[in-house]
Amino acid sequence: MTQSARRRTFFIIFLLPTFLFFCLFTLYPIVKGVQISFFDWSGGTKEMDFIGLDNYKQLLRDPIVGTAVGNDYFLVVGKVIGIMLLATFFAVAVTRLNVWGKNVYRVLFFIPNVISVVVIGVLWRYVYNPNLGFLNSFLSLFTSERVQTAWLGEPHTAMMSLLWPSIWAGIGFYMILLVAAILSIPGELYEAADLDGASQWRQFLSVTLPLMWEQMKVSILHIVMTTLNGSFILVWIMTEGGPDNSTQVMGSYLYQMGFRQYHMGYAATIGVLILVLSLLTTIILQRVLKRETIEMA
Amino acid sequence: MKLKQTLGGGLALMLVLLSAACGGTNSGNTNGGTPDASPTEVASNNGADSSKGLTGEFEIQYFVGGYGDSWWKEVISGFQAANPELKITQSAGPNINDQMRPRWIQGDTPDVVFIDGAGSNERQMIDDGQLMDLTEFLKEAENTDGEKLTDILISQPTAYEGTKNYTLPLVFGSWGLFYDKAFFNEKGWKAPTNWSEFVATNEQVKASGISSLIHTGVYPYYINGGLVDSAIVAGNGGDGSILTQQANLEEGSFSGPAVQKALAQVVELVDKGMIDPGAVSLNHTDAQIQWLQHKAAFIPSGLWLENEMSKDIPEGFEFGFIPSVAQGAGENNIVIPYTNTIAIAEKAKNVEAAKAFVQYAFTKANAIRWAELTGALMNIKADLTNTSASEVVKEAMAFFNSDTTTVAPVAVLNADVEKAKQDATIALTTGRIKAEEWMQRLEAAAAKVRK
Amino acid sequence: MMLTKQNPAARLVTYILLLLWTIAVVYPMVWTLFGALKDNPQFMQKQPWALPEFPLLWQNFTYVWERYGFQSYFANSILVTVGSILLSSILAATTAYVLARFAIKGGQVLYYLYLSAMMIPMILGLIPLFFLLNDMGLINSIPGLILVYTASALPFGIFVLVSFFKTLPKELEEAAYIDGAGYARTFWSVMLPLARSGLISVGIMNGLTIWNEYIMGSVFVNKPELYTLPVGLAVMQNEMQYRTEWGPLFAGLLLSIVPVLIIYIIFQRQIAEGVTAGAVK
Repeated sequence: MTQSARRRTFFIIFLLPTFLFFCLFTLYPIVKGVQISFFDWSGGTKEMDFIGLDNYKQLLRDPIVGTAVGNDYFLVVGKVIGIMLLATFFAVAVTRLNVWGKNVYRVLFFIPNVISVVVIGVLWRYVYNPNLGFLNSFLSLFTSERVQTAWLGEPHTAMMSLLWPSIWAGIGFYMILLVAAILSIPGELYEAADLDGASQWRQFLSVTLPLMWEQMKVSILHIVMTTLNGSFILVWIMTEGGPDNSTQVMGSYLYQMGFRQYHMGYAATIGVLILVLSLLTTIILQRVLKRETIEMA
Repeated sequence: MKLKQTLGGGLALMLVLLSAACGGTNSGNTNGGTPDASPTEVASNNGADSSKGLTGEFEIQYFVGGYGDSWWKEVISGFQAANPELKITQSAGPNINDQMRPRWIQGDTPDVVFIDGAGSNERQMIDDGQLMDLTEFLKEAENTDGEKLTDILISQPTAYEGTKNYTLPLVFGSWGLFYDKAFFNEKGWKAPTNWSEFVATNEQVKASGISSLIHTGVYPYYINGGLVDSAIVAGNGGDGSILTQQANLEEGSFSGPAVQKALAQVVELVDKGMIDPGAVSLNHTDAQIQWLQHKAAFIPSGLWLENEMSKDIPEGFEFGFIPSVAQGAGENNIVIPYTNTIAIAEKAKNVEAAKAFVQYAFTKANAIRWAELTGALMNIKADLTNTSASEVVKEAMAFFNSDTTTVAPVAVLNADVEKAKQDATIALTTGRIKAEEWMQRLEAAAAKVRK
Repeated sequence: MMLTKQNPAARLVTYILLLLWTIAVVYPMVWTLFGALKDNPQFMQKQPWALPEFPLLWQNFTYVWERYGFQSYFANSILVTVGSILLSSILAATTAYVLARFAIKGGQVLYYLYLSAMMIPMILGLIPLFFLLNDMGLINSIPGLILVYTASALPFGIFVLVSFFKTLPKELEEAAYIDGAGYARTFWSVMLPLARSGLISVGIMNGLTIWNEYIMGSVFVNKPELYTLPVGLAVMQNEMQYRTEWGPLFAGLLLSIVPVLIIYIIFQRQIAEGVTAGAVK
């Protein structure tokens, strides 16, 4: 065999199985899913009526889609801010601030990440239960009349109440990522800063933050992607998108439409919307975050 | 049970009550045993040689929810004993509706299906052409005891497209309001028999510092069934045909004077602060537990309630059942029934066996076993006096048989309209929308489906 | 060497926040344990933070253990997770190696194709995937789940491993070629071992996702003896909420968490290192 033939064989052996596997189990179902979005299909028969862009037109007019997109981005923004602030703070605390018992925190804070989302949903539903729940019982200690807030039932508190468990469950993972990033920063940089008499805060701004920014960027993108694609599971477990669709996110609405209201075609259209928004958001974010690094440098 | 429809807190995908042994084991046994019965033998044997019973393969799909699966296993093993040559497959479980979906789409369906649980809707199945037209069969069919099926049914099969039957109600029950008789006696409250009494009792309850009405806000179809629907029928002068008109999506059926009157009654409760403020975020268990703890006086629910909560009923608690409260003084009670149905697949491979199973299952003996094993009512007029069916079920039977009671027809709404109705009702009970918007939303949803 | 002066007030705030978050993550576990030892009246009449009354209801644990197949839930989850990680590691590493170390035509396109797949909402492909598995006779089977999870783990694996292979020094590879090793040999005995920590980090991160995956598991498998842990738990939770068996429910939740926690604590260092390895490109 010639060198180039060997090279080619090697490429084929290394690339092709993965690619075929990917095509079969990822690309094909998705392409099929996109195709379904152009049909009126109940999901119960073989009969599918091609209706062109009708599902997409309906999507643009559907007020619940607006709510769902809004809620999704509420979760995205809330999680990015909440998780990044806390995870960064904790990561710095256990690496740069010489606190007592730093390894213990690294173990403990990771606990929520090994818990199934089903369990997280159950625990937090119990926290928010209006009459038996932890939160109201606790608040009632400080009030003369029993607090009866239906946290998951009132439109202005429900999304907030869904945000907390998401943040709670996410911190540990991103904290470990950021810890890793901080530990990889050369110690000399800090020593130099010490000699200059820079305060902790100053050191954070001028050394830690710029050098961990790359990792923060990855974390932010990861949060955005997983939220847009996966946040609906917790939503479905805790509220099923209710009351009156006020906590619907795109994923839960897709599920409701496809599996509960028998509009599989429309559900697929919502899926396409998720895909498009995820791609757009990631691309835009990548631009924005890149620019910021330049400014800071 | 309708209740099981969206029941659990979980991603309702999988829903409820799976007893450890369910489904798989039984079918495994029967599958392994008889490799020799070929489909060709079926045709030749059928009917001709009754001593050997049916042959071939027979598959039944049933959702395992609040009723468990012990009745099914018992009946199916009885059916198996009567037809030893028949190879029976059971496809069952709490998530069976979603799991069987691809097979229904491909036309590789089971022979018999029990339609219950999340992800199942008989109207949709009929629209999708999945179910066999049973009209002719039901005209003649007798059960294995020689009784004509339609004679012994409590609730007759729902008529679609005017006259056609596709399903046969297997479970029968009624929505209504529940209260604790002992608690009411102790407090000197009176169980209401009409709307003004209901409001008066509610005032008293409220004055005593507890909520008057709690409900399952996460699943608003409870309050629809237990309060709103009976109010609509009452508003229609006790004529239940309005529910059928709604199910047929007739224009104006969601905004006529009957509906206006019913919604005004709901709004009256909201305005007077008689609905528990926390109810909107409660699922059925949360709401029912709090009601059992006397955190509220009334709860809308279905007849399964007592059985479902049997372990948590406090000492001295006495279940009381009121089918409806919206009627004026002297007017009839309204019973809003619910059913869960059984059907034969349009593409059933062994229609003979499917029909035979239906005839085998719908006997009075099986109805009594149903009551004993599930605590609920099978849709057969059987004498339950000496059975372990719950007291409240027996009490409800008294209502069904009373001549001051109107039993409304069973009407199954299109899934979209049903969802719109649930959303609108929960919004109405929390004061977020007005009655006009409820009607607008429902008319719009119906119009959209009509198109 | 921390020579930097620290503001005492800031230190205090730091400790308070750490303490609060510690409570936020530990207390739910403790509370679940307490809940697992209570009966319903204690739930309904006492404050939610009340300690369980004596006698403690340890039988709640035996009750759920006997009624639900936790052993098989765990066995299935382990099988599925390990199987998917192994398969996806091989498939991802080979592709990542080529994409990272060789400038081939279309390599960039392929890389971005895999990358964008990370943003695909899998639920969109749920129904078609269902049919696909059904046609292949892989519904209701552990291998079917492994294939699906492997596919879902590929894009992330390729993403991390490409950046990982890129950091490895060229000299090692060249030395191997000079020794007469072929491409595959070089990959297998030189480059892959060097990428071990990258593989570990990918395995852990994908493993966590697969271990907790619920939707596909619940749709593609309907036999109780094949349930994975999240699916079994969800079924148990629905059933118990419906029967208002709160004590046993919390006992069951705890049973599902504790083994994972123990494994996590034992392998904590390796896991942290694994994640670190992936992070520090």
